[in-house]
This record gives sequence, structure tokens and C-alpha cells, in this order.
Amino acid sequence: MKRKIMQTARVLNPRLIMMLILAISLSAGFSSCQSQKKLAKKKAAQELAERTAQAKTDLLAIINDEGRMTLEEKEFKLNSIKRMNLEDQEVKDLIVQAEQKIAVERAAIEKRKEDERLAKEREAGERGKYSSINDAMVAVAASRDASAANLAIREALQQFSNDDVPVLILISQDGDERDYDEPTTIRKYLEYLKDQKKSPDKIINAAYDSNGKIKELELQKR
Amino acid sequence: MAKLKIFIFLFSLLLGFNQLKAQDNISPARKLAIDSLALEKVRDLSTYISIVGNKDTPWSEANRVIERTLELFADGAMMGVSSINREEVNYYGVREYLERLMALNYDKVDITWYNIQYISDLERQPDGRYVGVITVYQRFEGTTEEGLRYVDVTKKDITVYVERKSTQISGRIIGFWDVLLGDIRVSETKPG
Amino acid sequence: MKQLSLIIVFLVSMLTENTAQNINNRQVEEGILNASTKQVNQFFRRFNGEESTKGVRYYEGDKDYRSQALRSRYINVLFDNGNASITDPIKREFVQEVVNTGDPEFVDFHKTGWFAEVTTKFLYQGKDVYITLFMNIEQENLGYKWVLSNVYFPHFESMFSSTSAEASRFLHPMSHEIDFMNLIRVFNDKDNIELYAAKGHEPDYLSMFLYELKKGNLKYQSVSNLKFHFFQIGGWYFEVSNFNRPGANSGWLISNLMKVDKEEDKDTIIKFIMHE
Repeated sequence: MKRKIMQTARVLNPRLIMMLILAISLSAGFSSCQSQKKLAKKKAAQELAERTAQAKTDLLAIINDEGRMTLEEKEFKLNSIKRMNLEDQEVKDLIVQAEQKIAVERAAIEKRKEDERLAKEREAGERGKYSSINDAMVAVAASRDASAANLAIREALQQFSNDDVPVLILISQDGDERDYDEPTTIRKYLEYLKDQKKSPDKIINAAYDSNGKIKELELQKR
Repeated sequence: MAKLKIFIFLFSLLLGFNQLKAQDNISPARKLAIDSLALEKVRDLSTYISIVGNKDTPWSEANRVIERTLELFADGAMMGVSSINREEVNYYGVREYLERLMALNYDKVDITWYNIQYISDLERQPDGRYVGVITVYQRFEGTTEEGLRYVDVTKKDITVYVERKSTQISGRIIGFWDVLLGDIRVSETKPG
Repeated sequence: MKQLSLIIVFLVSMLTENTAQNINNRQVEEGILNASTKQVNQFFRRFNGEESTKGVRYYEGDKDYRSQALRSRYINVLFDNGNASITDPIKREFVQEVVNTGDPEFVDFHKTGWFAEVTTKFLYQGKDVYITLFMNIEQENLGYKWVLSNVYFPHFESMFSSTSAEASRFLHPMSHEIDFMNLIRVFNDKDNIELYAAKGHEPDYLSMFLYELKKGNLKYQSVSNLKFHFFQIGGWYFEVSNFNRPGANSGWLISNLMKVDKEEDKDTIIKFIMHE
């Protein structure tokens, strides 16, 4: 009998130890699990606050931007903020403002593109209008040598009333204030193209005499 | 009659005022346009110099180009030239400088400029004209018939005079900026 | 055949490498030229923080115009690195005071408090001589101009080097009674003539210089050196000189820097510069 007890004790003993260990580890695990949950909650709240604050800063940066960010950057930032689905009212309001700002900018860019397209069309039209003078001037600048250039100058001059036809070159325009380079003559201008081998300035106006020859030429610096 | 006088007086006042306004404050945008016009004239000068210095340029052409070059300058403009080893400055009139260049007779002259320039403020002189200095760096390479090569890099500080003028062309008043080059200080330099 | 093609490949690769290097050199040189302070005008702009590091001009109203960060960066590279007497602590103190947020200080082209020292070469009685001209910016009518304010010519100075301690050189107080007949003794003693002048008499070297020029005794040759002295920053003096040398630390740079605690110190420095 005594031996049996002893045996039980021997059998029990390791089991007890095992259970004890289990209990301890479990309880420990349980308590750590509980504090982890709390922590995670806290962390999430903190993260949310941080994200909200960051979103606000980013949105304000978009709203107050004066050209440091491209429109694409702004849109990218705004979209990533929207994807966060933040519940903060201030963020929501700022999103609306940022959207408005982006819309205004987008419209301005579209308008600029359209203006550019129109200007290009107009320029193409004008180029067409003045293409024969322009071609003659290009021929002077592109001549291989002095004698070829002189020939091209002679040819170009045939489109003009005389060698001394005034040439005005617009350098800038600020409202009504038009600034020109010192006026020159067509011969001098053609010789300038020959020497400098520069592509001619843009023709913006030409006045013709009764023979259909140019008596005044207005250019604009490229 | 008196009314007319007053009118003329007011009109001339307005005209005078406008002129003053035009000269007193050059907006940054206008200043930029003047700067680039002046810089272009400096670059044009370089091309003229290489034409004059090139042996292949016929004599008559070179002379025509010299005249054209002189048109870029204010009267009496001079070149003041010094080298690294010699602090003293040699003076040449622009015509003299160009004619010397023509006489040097390099077989080939290659003038390139560095993509660096500095344009000073335009300061007003007592006479109302504006004056500025444009600094450019040029590499000159001349090769003689015998194949001898001369290379130098020079800093060129070029005086630029700017004056608002107006002229009448077919009945219209045209306001223009008269941009003339003045004295040029040429100093040898070794950037690298 | 194989060998030949190998040689060609080798040559071509060498050539391309060479051009690549040339382009590279050019870029390096342009970088250096960009860094160099090319005009005194640029020294002003950099000191005041009125241009970007790429050389773009800033105007009033631009975001970085005269910004503290830009200025601290710029002023630090406006010193001649070859001058050991401009120590790091003194540099730091200077920069701190100049860019100080509360009371930043600037240099102003149009205001007084700076002048040029121009060393010029003349022919004087057939000999090469160096004369130092001191010049200021002065307003006139619609604009400004440089004017001569003082001259230093050692020859002039040595003419007036007699010391008034010589007790025997004077016109005695009863000379008037003899119709100043003793003036003959005075004017025969031309080396010491200034001793007969009134107390406090100072020779005017600029007038003498103009006189000698007008007489044709002085013939101008050329400018041989140029520097600038600045007293526009409160409590400081600095000198600006041109360094035409390879590398980025070149062009117009601060070649001398001194603390000036008292107004008298400033006068002493000016006297020293003008050899007075």
C-alpha cells in the first residue's frame, strides 16, 4: 500500500509540475495578452491622431501651395488622404478646400494649354502668311559661304521696296509699353543673319507698298 | 488761347512724367529683356571676332564685319588686356583690336564661351543713362598654318550702356532701348 | 587583321573617353566659374542674399530674397581661404552678427561707408611710379559716379616729412618791421619750407596730384591693383580683393576682417589705409 502511494506520488509529481508550469505560463500569457490589447488600442489611437495631423498638414500644404508642388503631386497626396477615410471633420473640410484648389488649378492649366494651342495655330497661320519672307531669311542664315549668302540676300531683298526698309524688333511687351531693339534696315538685318547664322526672329507684322513689296517689317525676338 | 496753353502745359507735363516713369523704374521683366538683348550683343560680338580672325574670311568681308562690329560699340570704347603673368593693362581701341586680330592671320580661330555669365545691376549715371557690366568667359583657340596652337581662357567684363530712346518710323513713335557696348576689360584666367 | 581591329577599337575607345573627359572638364570649369564671385556687384548680391546659388537674381518679394539661411551659407564662402589670419571663430562671430534675425546687416552700393583703393602706375619725371587713389561713390543729378577723394604718393609725402621740432626754423616775430626781408632765408631753405607754415597746416595731396597732372609731370599708365574697404557693418571692418586663381575660392573675396570696437579704431584703420 505504502508502495502504491509512493508510486502515485511519483506519478503525480511530474504531472503536478507540468500543470503548475502550464498554469503559470498560461496565467502569465493571459495577463500579457490583456496588456497587449490595451497597448495596441492606444497605439492605434496614437497612429490615427498622427495620421490625422499629417493629413491636415498635407492638406494645408496643398491649399496654401504657391507653385512648389506640381498639380500631380497635389492630386496624389489628396487621393492618398482620401483613401484613409479619416472621420475628423476638420480633415473633411480641408479635403473639400483642397479639391476646390486643385480644380481651379486644373482649369487654369487646361486654359493655358488651350491658349497655347490657339497661339500655335495662329502662329502657323502667320507663318503661312509670311512664309516667303521667312524662307528667304532662313536661306540667308543657312548659306554655306559668303557668296551664297550674298546671293540669298539679293534674292530676299527683291521682296522689299528697297534696302533701307525699316525693321523693328520687339524685345518685350508690358501692357501697352512696347520695347524694341534699335531699329535697323532690311539689308543690315539680312547681313546680320548672314554673319551670325541665326535663325530669323519671328515675323509679327509687315506693311506693303502699292507694288506689293514690303515697306516695313516688324519682328519679335525669339 | 489761354486754355490751349494750359492744355499744352499739362500735356507736356504728362509726357515728361511718363518719360521719367519709363526711365526710373525698370520692372524685373523689362530688365530681363534688356539683359538678354545686351547679352545677345555680347555673343554677336564673339561671332564677329571669329569672322574677323579667320584667315578664310575675304578681306572685304572682314572689313565690312569690322564696321558692323564697331556699330555695337559706343564711341571711343577701348579694350584693356592683361595676362596672368603681367598685371599691367594694355589698351587698344576696338578698331585697332580688330585690325590686329585680322593681321594675326590664324588659319583657324575657334571662339567658344562658357555657359556662365554674370549680369550686374543697371546703375544710373549722372546723365540719366544706365550702365551695367556683363561678365562672360571665352575660350580662344587659334591655329596657325604651321599647326601652332594658341589657347587662352579670358574673362571679359563688358560695359553696357542702356538708354531709352524713341524715333519716328512711318509716322509712329517707336520707343526702343539703345544698347551699346563700352570698354571691355579682358583678363586671362585659369578656372580649373 | 584581328590585331588591327583590336587597335582600332582601342583607339576609338580612347578617343571617346577623351571627349567625355573634355565635356567633363568643361562642366567642372563651369561649376568653378559659377562659384567664383565674378563682379563686385555679385559680392554685394551674395553678401546680401539676393541671388540663388545658381546665380538667379532675387528681387524684393521673392521667397528667398535676403533669407537668413541663404546669407549664412553665402557669407561663409565669401572669405579668402588662403588667409590664415581670418580665423574660424572670428568668421563665425562676423557671420552671426551680420545675419542676426533681429537686426541683420547689409552692404549697400549707394551708401557711404565703403571706398575703393586703386593702385595706379604713372610716369613721373620719366620714371615709373605707383600712386594709390582712394575713390568714393557719389550721387549727382540722376545717378551716381565714382570720384577721387584722396591720393597717396610716397614722393609727395617725403616732401613734407620735416619735423617741426627744429627750433631754429621760423620767421622771428619782428620780421614785419624789416619788411620781411628775411623771407629770402625761408625760400632758400625749400626742403624745410613747410616748417614756416601755420600750425595745423596739412598738405592736400589730391590737389598736388591734380597740379602735377595738369603740369604734365605725371603721365598715366594703367591700373595695377584694386581693392575695397568696407565699414558698413557696425563694429567691423573688412577688405575685399580679387583673387584670379584656379578653383572655386576665387574672384572678389573678403581678404581681411577686423573687429572695430570703438569709433577711434575705425579712424585709425582709415588713417593706416590712407598712409596718413
